[in-house]
Amino acid sequence: MKLRWAAARLVALFRKRNLDRELEDEVRAHLELAERDAIARGLTPEEARQAAQRSFGGIEQMKEDHRDRRSVRWMENLARDFRYGVASLARDPGFAAVTIGLLALGIGANTAMFSIVDAVLLKPLPFPEPERMVRVWETLPNSLGNATTTLTFLDWKRQDTIFEALSVELPTRAAVATGGDPARFPGNLVSADYFQVFGVKPRIGRTFAPGEDQPGAAPVVVLSYSFWQTRFGGDPGVLKRDLALDGEPHRIIGVLPAGSFDRDEAVFWKPLIFAPDQLNRGPHWLVVVGRLRAGVSLEQARAKMTVLRASLAGVMPPWKKDWGFAVDPFAQELVGDTLRRSIYLAFGAVLMVLLIACANVANLALAKGATRRKEMALRAALGASRGRLIGQLLTESLVLCLLGGVAGVAVAYLLLHAAAPLVAASLPFTADLSLDLRVLGFAAAAAMAVLILAGLLPSLRTSFSKLSNSLNQAARGSSGSSAAVRRTIVVGEVAVSVVLICGAALLFKSLAQLQQVDAGVRIDHVITMSADLPSTAYPSAESAARFYEAVVQRLRAVPGVEQASVSLDLPLQGVHYGEGMSLPGVKGFLVVRVKLVDSRYFGTLQIPVESGRGIEGRDRAGAPPVMVVNRELARHMSGSFAMANPVGRIVNIDLPGYGPIPESTANVRIVGVIRDERTGELHAPQDLVAYVPLAQVPRQDIKLVVRTRSEPAAVMSGIREAVRQVDPRLPLADVRTMEQVKERSMLWAKQPTWVVGAFAGVAALLAALGLYGVLAHAVTEQRREIGIRMALGARPGDVVSHTLRSAFSMLVVGLAVGLAGAFALTRVMKSLLFKVSALDPIALAVACLLMTLIGILAAWIPASRAARVDPMTVLRDEG
Amino acid sequence: MLTANMSEHKTEVPYGTLDLLILKTLDTMGPMHGYRIARRIEQVAENLLRLNQGSIYPALIRLEQQGWIRTQWGVSETKRKVKFYSLTRAGSKQLTVEVANWERAKALVARFLEAES
Repeated sequence: MKLRWAAARLVALFRKRNLDRELEDEVRAHLELAERDAIARGLTPEEARQAAQRSFGGIEQMKEDHRDRRSVRWMENLARDFRYGVASLARDPGFAAVTIGLLALGIGANTAMFSIVDAVLLKPLPFPEPERMVRVWETLPNSLGNATTTLTFLDWKRQDTIFEALSVELPTRAAVATGGDPARFPGNLVSADYFQVFGVKPRIGRTFAPGEDQPGAAPVVVLSYSFWQTRFGGDPGVLKRDLALDGEPHRIIGVLPAGSFDRDEAVFWKPLIFAPDQLNRGPHWLVVVGRLRAGVSLEQARAKMTVLRASLAGVMPPWKKDWGFAVDPFAQELVGDTLRRSIYLAFGAVLMVLLIACANVANLALAKGATRRKEMALRAALGASRGRLIGQLLTESLVLCLLGGVAGVAVAYLLLHAAAPLVAASLPFTADLSLDLRVLGFAAAAAMAVLILAGLLPSLRTSFSKLSNSLNQAARGSSGSSAAVRRTIVVGEVAVSVVLICGAALLFKSLAQLQQVDAGVRIDHVITMSADLPSTAYPSAESAARFYEAVVQRLRAVPGVEQASVSLDLPLQGVHYGEGMSLPGVKGFLVVRVKLVDSRYFGTLQIPVESGRGIEGRDRAGAPPVMVVNRELARHMSGSFAMANPVGRIVNIDLPGYGPIPESTANVRIVGVIRDERTGELHAPQDLVAYVPLAQVPRQDIKLVVRTRSEPAAVMSGIREAVRQVDPRLPLADVRTMEQVKERSMLWAKQPTWVVGAFAGVAALLAALGLYGVLAHAVTEQRREIGIRMALGARPGDVVSHTLRSAFSMLVVGLAVGLAGAFALTRVMKSLLFKVSALDPIALAVACLLMTLIGILAAWIPASRAARVDPMTVLRDEG
Repeated sequence: MLTANMSEHKTEVPYGTLDLLILKTLDTMGPMHGYRIARRIEQVAENLLRLNQGSIYPALIRLEQQGWIRTQWGVSETKRKVKFYSLTRAGSKQLTVEVANWERAKALVARFLEAES
């Protein structure tokens, strides 16, 4: 009943005009009938009309009563306040613009950031039953996940009580010749049930059938939607066509739906078919993704895999006896710890910016409220209730928040558009950054929170302070308690800004530390690129070795090139191969990274040989196998194998074969020790690296490293031409200077640093704005006082220092509170800091100094204005 | 002159009873328009009551919003389109409630008056 009544009233509100007209009609009919009856009783028409109206009573009063009864009073009030609010904002466009701008900035930045948080951390993966998707690893004794071997993968794949589907995922590249320059495209080699793992149905055609990853199956390929659109114009006829990958035709059997897989690097997927001699437990080359059988929990899967590992103990090499198997949720692996922390950190920072923006808006509203006290007092005197006054002020805030929210969504849209290309590489491919309903809902919630934070306090203050006093008060005179509230708000703003600036200072210091890590190589004037020697053109190890020799000769002949080399891995990007190394006749082994480089690699990157010799031209195929170790490995060998000097010793190690040829164990002589280069990321511990001559162990997926005399970009066309002369059909990819490689390796640290830094900058500016506002207001209100003091002999310097002291007192309290907050909060970023304590005194001191400087700058303008007050003018004005 | 004199002996509609009068009228007379409802109340009251006929309209809209009466469009004796009001099922239930309330109130007041005398 209640509900029905409320609904009827709401309907009445919107049908106001209709209902008024209906009532009008009813009244007219009523009067007519009354007149007719009166005439029937024998009255004249004129008397009858008067009698009818008399017995009806007051028509207008009845109408008002009728409206009151049928409608919702507060809604009509709200609508009126809303119109009034818009009008009052239009009267003060400066205030409105500043406020809406602040809110748009705060809400916009938060909305954009939330869209990232939502896409990466909150939304479930865009696949059916994502909680069943897992990564399966072998694990090192330190429980770090590692890729697995062919036979171990096949052992896993037989566990059909655990896994519904299990697939390898091996990134590859292939030259796709479709007219013009050959270009290499990234793809994935996968098992036939790969798309069952993701639960993805093709947009057209089909995905792989069981058996298509077995030897003898016809070559097939599945394309991504975006590749299908850009390369084939979305032609459904592609299903009857072949795609040449490295010159080998593959039948196109299907195209994936648009979405997640378009953000993946790969544009094509083809089955990985194991060659007979790959069926071993040698190279750890397979990364595995799977879908648990329905009803199998993660714990059950882990337990069963542990049992399986124990049963395989007999076939595993002895150096892996402490290794295990691990099953991890796919989502967890997709979003690394560092990314998760970075995103939370950035979100926390942007929330603080919103808080400061709110504080500024509240401050503005308070200042405006002070000037409106008389209006409010007058309205109260005329009978408006306090509730109505608060309601009116809140409605004005609501108008501001709505406009700010709408502008904020526009800001978020622009921010996302600008930022998406920059951050996309750091986000998982499943993250779809868009302003969907959830994000808009967040924006609305943020606007509401702002309304409560920034609107409620000023309206309460304005309407509850003694209104009668305001009426009695003379035009001048500051409202003391309101000023105190405004100063407190500014102190809060300064405190929050200090927390942010401290966080940013710590991150910047950490980044500087990271940048100072010696890469161990000279990175200036070095350009790198990658190439993949297709098996069709380079079927044998010899043909590949001939290519390395020829391409380096050509490159060195290019004008402007100082040195050129070929290797498998670049510095800072990690080393592909890891193997167990042992000494004949000595117990124990070391797990080392095996880096394949040619004879000029150390020279090109200027890595000095510390003892023995480097890799030389004579270390070619057929010559005695040799290796060079880095200082770190030499140090570990002296520890593990108790040898003073490793040079000259012979070690046992597995080395990869060419193409599908499996790895084989070799006895290799250590001929030298080189100084450490940073093979992995700058913050990671130094790898133990064994350098093996590429000429003795050739591979197809190589990097070219070229040192130039002048700007590398100027030499690039010569480099391309040189490679073309050796192999006109070999495409080059990933052309980057070594400096760019270094930049990329630091992306994980740079992005949060700059994001938090930017937010801290905005926060400091907003706090400065708040400080400026309060001081400027105070100076305006105290002009008379200042004038009198100057008339009595105060010098301009005294006046300036008076204002600055007031600013300083706010700053000092803000700094103290902010530092306390920083002590409590910077702890959460510990894991993002490199060689910097979360309480680093220098960073915190710099942060405080910065805030103080910004604060004093903000105070200087009102202070100097105070000093320019002309006592004569002021005293005459107000006298 | 005469009407003015008479009106001094008329009473106002007792507070809160207009709803009851309207519901009872519709219950006995069936659907009717506003003027007829007002006239019927006046006739039953036999000039004992001073009713501003207009005051029934705010009461009617409220009863309608409560769901106790419903309206239909019809044509008046003067060939005008008017609203005809009639009792809903919820309305007749409400009528018994209101009657019971009234009886209780009357009994209560009566008891007080007896005790006083």
